[in-house]
Amino acid sequence: MIRFDQVSKRYPSGQDALCDLSFEIGAGEMAFIAGHSGAGKSTLLRLIALMDRPSRGRVSVNGRELTQVGARGVPQVRRGIGMVFQDHRLLMDRSAFDNVALPLQIAGVARDELGKRVRAALDKVGLLAREAALPAMLSAGEQQRVGIARAIVAKPPVLIADEPTGNLDPMLSAEIMGLFAEFQQVGTAVLVASHDLALVKRMNKRVIVLDHGRMIDDYRPVAAAVSA
Amino acid sequence: MSQNSGNRRKPTAPAPRKPEAAAPLPARENARRSPRTRVSLRAWREQHAQSFRASLRRLLARPGATALTLLVMSLALTLPLLLWLLLDNARGLGGSLDDARAISAFLKPSLDAAAAEALARKLRERDDVAAVVIKTPDEGLAEFRAQSGFADALKLLQGNPLPTVLIISPRAALATQGMPALVADLEHADEVDLVQYDALWRQRLDAILLFTARLAGVLALLLGLAALLVVGNTVRLDVQGRAEEIGVVKLLGASNAFVRRPFLYTGLCYGTISGLVALALVALVEQPLAAPLQRLMSSYGDRFGVHGLSAPQALALVAFSAALGFAGAWLATSRHLALVRPR
Repeated sequence: MIRFDQVSKRYPSGQDALCDLSFEIGAGEMAFIAGHSGAGKSTLLRLIALMDRPSRGRVSVNGRELTQVGARGVPQVRRGIGMVFQDHRLLMDRSAFDNVALPLQIAGVARDELGKRVRAALDKVGLLAREAALPAMLSAGEQQRVGIARAIVAKPPVLIADEPTGNLDPMLSAEIMGLFAEFQQVGTAVLVASHDLALVKRMNKRVIVLDHGRMIDDYRPVAAAVSA
Repeated sequence: MSQNSGNRRKPTAPAPRKPEAAAPLPARENARRSPRTRVSLRAWREQHAQSFRASLRRLLARPGATALTLLVMSLALTLPLLLWLLLDNARGLGGSLDDARAISAFLKPSLDAAAAEALARKLRERDDVAAVVIKTPDEGLAEFRAQSGFADALKLLQGNPLPTVLIISPRAALATQGMPALVADLEHADEVDLVQYDALWRQRLDAILLFTARLAGVLALLLGLAALLVVGNTVRLDVQGRAEEIGVVKLLGASNAFVRRPFLYTGLCYGTISGLVALALVALVEQPLAAPLQRLMSSYGDRFGVHGLSAPQALALVAFSAALGFAGAWLATSRHLALVRPR
């Protein structure tokens, strides 16, 4: 689902964010990207979401080679990727329902079907009762869960998250990570960037460790294959 | 502001399905993923309706700024419109062409009727003359008395001061541009005192009207550009205020068309309403102008009346104004989208 092939990214400032990175994440696989801040975690996710282009190498998402995607093709690629952000990036003047509905509106889903799917997504993150609430009326954990519902409502084959628990306390964080693990089980490729090593270890999933843009470890738990 | 909390609870009845040939973009994209083109067509209409409602809401959210933009834009439209209207009315001033083409030759007072008759006969033989009418001094005086209202004053005159006048109608092919040879010949004739050729005066009026029309055109162009910039700037501020929202929506996979749509509706609203306000302003300005203009016109013998805009003209103005609003919004959003495009 996600494939990096000798990818390097050098920013115009001369900083090398990623160096010769290769890995592959299949359908229904969940992986963490760990590393200290500035290790290249965010850059890696930005390349997947086509917010940036690699300087060298190839990135494929959902079987599409991103170097061959022009500006006009970007929206189509992004619709196949659910994105969760550290600061959730909800539209503050719209209700939880309307925020979650956005990807479906963009994809052109009719209103009656849209309502069903939005409620299903809100139900999955346990916020069905709060659909009319504005983001400001929700707690930090609830806001992030609305963000996750928005990411998965269109059932994208790929889900990426950049420090989704960065602003949450440990208990909420574990809850959110548990949610991601659930989506992995329905066949979605999940890639989560996190610097919270303790939490990552507890999840017992594949971990790609970056340091200064290089992969220094690709840890695969033996037990994960059995439990998943 | 929950956006469609009112609507989403009542699912819409299946819309009548028309086999519309030109499937809109979102529908086409969706069709590639699943065979639901019809559903998407409805969704596309819903999207447009929603964009329209959202843009209206946005206009109403800031009534002050909206009113100012509308007023500036409609004033920019009103000015050239008024000038054009004035011009359109003045076109009637020239009168009918046949009247103006006639040449009046005032003969020398010393000439008697026989000499006048001889000249008229000579003129009738020319190829470029269609007809010659002799107006004797007596006929002229009678006409003058009937028309000018100076009947009492004319009674005081000892004799008849009017000369014999030959009214010469040239053939149709002549006298289109410049001074025909016939006029020049008449001016050189010994018997003729003065040649009055209305067509010359008409040509001068035509030239003035043409110049004024150009002026109105240039003004319309400049002020139309101003209106475009006013809308563009207003929409640009709107776009900047929603830059974050645009960024999020783009990340979720929205096409440029999706991002642009609500702003285009905003521009369209601005343009249409401005056009209507401009029409109202013209009607308002016509009120104080109509009476004196009518008086001026009637002094020209009531040959034509003052008229305002016709219905098709009014419609064309509103359409033009709406197009301006649309174009301004398009420019503003395109600029922003080009700026935030990832490299």
